[in-house]
Amino acid sequence: MSRLPVLKPEGNVPESQHLPPEESLPVLLTRSDEALGFFERKLSGALGWARANSLFQYPFVTACCGMEYMSVMAGRYDLARFGAEYPRFTPRQADLLMIVGTINVKQTPVLKRVYEQMTEPKWVMAFGVCASSGGFYDNYATTQGADRVIPVDVYVPGCPPRPEQVLDGLKILQEKIRSQRHQLHTVEKSREIEDADEEKKKRFLGKWLNR
Amino acid sequence: MAQSLIDLLRETHPDAIVSTPGHRGDEVVVVRREQLVDVCRFLKEDPRTDLKLLAQIAGVDLLTYATEATGGGALASIEVPAYDLERKRPVEPRYQVAYNLGSVVKKHRLRLRLELRSDDMKIPTVTGIWRTADWWERYIYDMFGVEFVGHPNLTRIMMYPEFQGFPLRKDYPVRKRQPLVPELDFPDLVRGPGPGPGGAGVPMSQTHVGRANVDPDAYD
Repeated sequence: MSRLPVLKPEGNVPESQHLPPEESLPVLLTRSDEALGFFERKLSGALGWARANSLFQYPFVTACCGMEYMSVMAGRYDLARFGAEYPRFTPRQADLLMIVGTINVKQTPVLKRVYEQMTEPKWVMAFGVCASSGGFYDNYATTQGADRVIPVDVYVPGCPPRPEQVLDGLKILQEKIRSQRHQLHTVEKSREIEDADEEKKKRFLGKWLNR
Repeated sequence: MAQSLIDLLRETHPDAIVSTPGHRGDEVVVVRREQLVDVCRFLKEDPRTDLKLLAQIAGVDLLTYATEATGGGALASIEVPAYDLERKRPVEPRYQVAYNLGSVVKKHRLRLRLELRSDDMKIPTVTGIWRTADWWERYIYDMFGVEFVGHPNLTRIMMYPEFQGFPLRKDYPVRKRQPLVPELDFPDLVRGPGPGPGGAGVPMSQTHVGRANVDPDAYD
């Protein structure tokens, strides 16, 4: 399922767990590497499946979008169908921070603290234009988007967004979570391969620079 | 209906009234600052007026009023304030403060108005008469910087204490921001240059006035 381009899957995974890009992997893998890679993909899939389908949300509701959030949570649109069943009213038990409404400057320390209190892995959804970009509150009191203060994974536009948009945003976020990869072991390149890479790069650049 | 109130006020406080620029039954009395408390106490306590409800205190900045009325408009610029105080002398009296009074029993209302020069922005407080004036006067202080002499707790009510300047004054830069926590700086086409006097390219955390005043222990 790929309706929309999903952004980089590494998302909120800490730097240390990032996989190196594919092209820098050595071509020849040992059987042990292959087995580990297989196991890694399976485990990543299982973890992604589990995480994507049990998103506990923390609703940071500050404004009128809260009405729409209630509508999304209630029976007619029912966010629980997609696994986002429980709103947790402590950030320590939540996976998904939903910023619902305008974030003004006075609230940014609170928002930042709530985000930092959440345990890893954590994701953030900006619900509505005010949380995404400040909306039409282009004034002295309003933060121009929550992403100026904390990282945001999914932006749901709309003033307020329709519940269908929120569900769509949640599914995009689930897609992102499912496609995250978790590294079991580190792949270290040997010294010779690194040197060869450098030389190749230099030759390539030199070809262009000498022209 | 409120005309009778003005006539009454002319009888009892003839020195206090400057003018009565009412319009279509929406009566306004411009009063002198010195007699404000006397007038307010009379209006509240006299049974003929019975203005026990202070619905609102409002502030007005007339700095760009003339240019906006003639179609000039305020300059909504990022770096230049809406009005260059250095080049053009401000209109005087520049500020107005309006007290919207009402009577639930008598079903009439009246607006008191004060005119303030920008070099002497002090008003006696009316918190002793209406308790609700406490927050309204803090609001006017917060947004316009009018000082209410005798107010028990004249601090900012909406903006944070680190905020500098008074945002509803017309010479406050339209897109000036004073964030409390460091903000990420990234180019953004939709939202334009980042808020603040620096604009695009300058890290927002360095351009904002408020950053320098934030006590790091107050917000971790």
